[in-house]
Amino acid sequence: MSAQTSNSRTTKNPLLAPLFSLIVPGAGQLYLGAREAGSAILVATVVLALLIQFTSEVLRIAVIETAFFKTSWLWFLLALFWLWNVFDAYRRARGLSASRVFGFAVPILIIYILAWQVTGVDFTRLVTRFDDVKYIFNALLHPDFFTRDTEQQSGWVTIQVPCSPTVPPPPPEYSGFPVRIDRACGTVGDPLTMTGEGFLPTTSGNVYWLEYDGTNEAQVRMNDAPVVITTDANGQFTSQFNIPSFAARDGLDPDNPVVQAVEARFVQEVGPPKPSENFHILIGSIAQEPAPAWMVNLGLVAPDATVPRIVPGGIWVTIALGLMATFISVAVAAPLSFLGARNIMARVRGGTVIYYVTRAIFNFVRSVDTLIWAIILVTWTGLGAFTGLLALSIHSIAAVAKLYSEEVEHIDEGPVEATTAAGGTTLQSVRFAVIPQIIPSFLAYSLLRWDINMRSATIVGFVSAAGIGFYIFEAIRKGGYQEYAAALWAIAIVVMIVDFVSSIWRERILHGERRAAATPQDLQAPPKPFYKTRRGILYTVIFIIVFIISWNLSEINLEKLLEPAPTLGSVIYDYITIDTSVEVWRAILRQILVTIFQALLATTLGAIVAIPFAFLAAKNITGRARGTAWIYYAARFVLNFLRSIEAFLYVAIFVFWVGVGAFAGMLALAVTTFGLIGKLFSEAVENIEEGPVEAVTATGANRLQTIAFAVLPQIVPPFISYSIYQWDINIRMATIIGFAGGGGIGLLFQNYVGQLQYHKAGAVILAIVVVVTIMDLASAKIRHRLV
Amino acid sequence: MLRVENLTKVYPNGTVALKDVTFQVEDGEFLAVIGLSGSGKSTLLRCINRLIEPTSGKIFWDGIDVTAASPNEMRKIRRQMGFIFQQFNLVKRSNVITNVLTGRLGYVGSAQSLANLFSKHDHDLALKNLERLGLKEKAYVRADSLSGGQQQRVGIARALMQEPKLILADEPVASLDPVLSHSILKYLEQLNKEDGLTVLCSLHFLDLVHRYATRAIALKDGKLVFEGLPEAIDDAEFKAIYGQDAQRVSII
Repeated sequence: MSAQTSNSRTTKNPLLAPLFSLIVPGAGQLYLGAREAGSAILVATVVLALLIQFTSEVLRIAVIETAFFKTSWLWFLLALFWLWNVFDAYRRARGLSASRVFGFAVPILIIYILAWQVTGVDFTRLVTRFDDVKYIFNALLHPDFFTRDTEQQSGWVTIQVPCSPTVPPPPPEYSGFPVRIDRACGTVGDPLTMTGEGFLPTTSGNVYWLEYDGTNEAQVRMNDAPVVITTDANGQFTSQFNIPSFAARDGLDPDNPVVQAVEARFVQEVGPPKPSENFHILIGSIAQEPAPAWMVNLGLVAPDATVPRIVPGGIWVTIALGLMATFISVAVAAPLSFLGARNIMARVRGGTVIYYVTRAIFNFVRSVDTLIWAIILVTWTGLGAFTGLLALSIHSIAAVAKLYSEEVEHIDEGPVEATTAAGGTTLQSVRFAVIPQIIPSFLAYSLLRWDINMRSATIVGFVSAAGIGFYIFEAIRKGGYQEYAAALWAIAIVVMIVDFVSSIWRERILHGERRAAATPQDLQAPPKPFYKTRRGILYTVIFIIVFIISWNLSEINLEKLLEPAPTLGSVIYDYITIDTSVEVWRAILRQILVTIFQALLATTLGAIVAIPFAFLAAKNITGRARGTAWIYYAARFVLNFLRSIEAFLYVAIFVFWVGVGAFAGMLALAVTTFGLIGKLFSEAVENIEEGPVEAVTATGANRLQTIAFAVLPQIVPPFISYSIYQWDINIRMATIIGFAGGGGIGLLFQNYVGQLQYHKAGAVILAIVVVVTIMDLASAKIRHRLV
Repeated sequence: MLRVENLTKVYPNGTVALKDVTFQVEDGEFLAVIGLSGSGKSTLLRCINRLIEPTSGKIFWDGIDVTAASPNEMRKIRRQMGFIFQQFNLVKRSNVITNVLTGRLGYVGSAQSLANLFSKHDHDLALKNLERLGLKEKAYVRADSLSGGQQQRVGIARALMQEPKLILADEPVASLDPVLSHSILKYLEQLNKEDGLTVLCSLHFLDLVHRYATRAIALKDGKLVFEGLPEAIDDAEFKAIYGQDAQRVSII
């Protein structure tokens, strides 16, 4: 670099560079041979200018108006950047370099200002609406899983309304606990004293006013609150209230008085907690059914007997979908992945073309989220678990196949060379030199995918109307936040278990110790193949059982694939012939911006909150000392819990809190981001090498200096790298968060599909694919440079 | 008999790895190929069994033009040429006998081998070859649990499964300790002397060439710069092959 600049000084005019940069940003840097800096400045200027123009014109963001003109004040910041670029060119021409901090800070500032405005961030709403949202938090802490039986104690006494010499019909026969009132008749508003005895001691109850025939009743209220009666230690109570207006329901006719009743009612929970109705829907129940014919025929049960049958709840359908989608995607992706592996396809005639086509398809399919696939597929296979399974599988096949392909590309080529040299065919080389090498990483990726599919399966029901996603959707619509809470807890527990099991198995597969060395006698004979060992048989049986159960729960119905709606052809045609009109693309651009920016803000917010938390959740910081270990475990649990629930499912909370829109979606994304990134950060902290810390300490540095020079340099690159990676992930999630009311491109897609304007929906999909692909490539590239 | 005529290899990036190389290997010879790293030794050996496609020139193996062979013919030619690699090229996760059996792939039909069905004869042959190389008791352990020297012996056993007439050995001892180098080369010598296999072996160290080879050729920048008896490499020749700054060293 320095050699280059000193060289350019001798051959190039130092005044030309700033002049060029003044005319075209970055041109001076390019002229001086700083190709990367020059093109970065040029691209940044163009992109920022377009963004400022678009947002001020279409979204009216950062607009200032005077009598003469209307413009965006962000142009001022861009002008600053422009000036910096000229200064930088001038400095470079002198063989120096300008402050890079400023060059980065101004564009980032512009981006965040835009993101803030586009996403509609309004943190004051979090505060002003806090009292209302307490209700939801209370529900979240009291999920509807269990209920207890209630026991009621009541006693009533008649009263004539109004007082009159006319004799009313005789009162009904008395039953219940003894209660008395201090008057036999009265009219609305008359004071009344009620006493009773023989009830359970020190319990609370309410008073009800009953119509004579018992068809109608109302709780007696005083001063806008229900009248509460409390018994003393002897089970006696006394209460004073006025005759409620309800008593006038049958009219206040002195010639035709009616007999009404006042009832003291104590309801108490008794007995142990038992599963609630909601528990049965969510987890499952046991139903009694007539015995199936085969059991009767075998003489196992009497002909008219009933047998218990387990009715699995929504969570099991979700688990089955996650498993089944993983089985399917692994089975399909494994052979396909060879078509997407450059090194294998190079050996086949025309293979390079196949390679590019395959990779392009993988990339397209995995850029489109499971939920969007589900919406598309509903037109084919209708609502139901099967559609959810198809959507999960399609997305998962492409995602897994891409990873598999990369793994095939990264094998050790030596054994392939050896089998070829021995005269083996390409197929034989694959079988003997490639497959043995890739099995462990394929298994590991499959397990990772299981984890991801499990999470996706929790939300696919939003569209396909099956599994726990649908249940949550319904619960939120009915305002049943305790049911919603129960579902979240159930999901969190299942996903945490899957996450744990999957990571343990992955670890064991990739880094596990090999089996203990066999004895010399064993080595004389070939070992039994795995499928013949006792463990192998056990695993096979378990697998088959799990497979059959999952198959049934996911309602697989291959015939449905062959019987699409008659309109399917025209729907596909509509999707492919995408809309190219300006207004549609303007709407798409607008929502894509929202999507990108809300993902950016969510990542930033989640990461900022996660940084201090990551230190609390790092084993080497809090986990070792006895006094602080609880902090470690608590922090770990919070992170695990929050990240086990998809951002999509948090949206409901924030929609209630801050209202429908991109801000709610951003906050939901930030919560999951916090959980995911907090875990990655804490692992980065745990992986700090002690060597540099020791070395810096040995120079006599104090604790702060040690952190600054030995710890921070080790954690800042991974922190930035993980954040960018998370932004990439968040953009994918942000494309669908609109379905739940979180704003962004998903809402637009759903609207177009809802209006049956599939060619517009097709345009949205294209835009999503382009953005996700660019983000994917850019994030991989930036992360690669950071590490 | 192997005959290489005007062999030239230019890589797609423009590197000329071999330039007009011509030589002949008589049956039963132990021919050493020497030269600096990057002089074209590996490329030469891989061109002979067309692991690398030559750019021009011809290779004749027992009168058959290797460079013009169809894929099917190539398969038959390859199985007559055992190849031994510097990095052993074993499938580390497979057990030793599976690695050895892959040497037999040129003889078995695809369908049969894909199901991992090697005949009893092949199994016995594999065990016999392992026994010959002193590895019979290691037949069912994973290849990556062996030491470097043992792994190279598995590599030799794999080559022997081809029942080859010619052994192409590409720096077979460059990844091994000096002591192990001799043990491996002794096996090659034994194959050469007792079984009458022709050996074409690239080597780094001149004293190994003196000790084992019956004849030597030398490559420099892809060109053949020496052909003759190992003893004929005097100081002048040495400087011509390895450059002016080179020093003779010996191992053990």
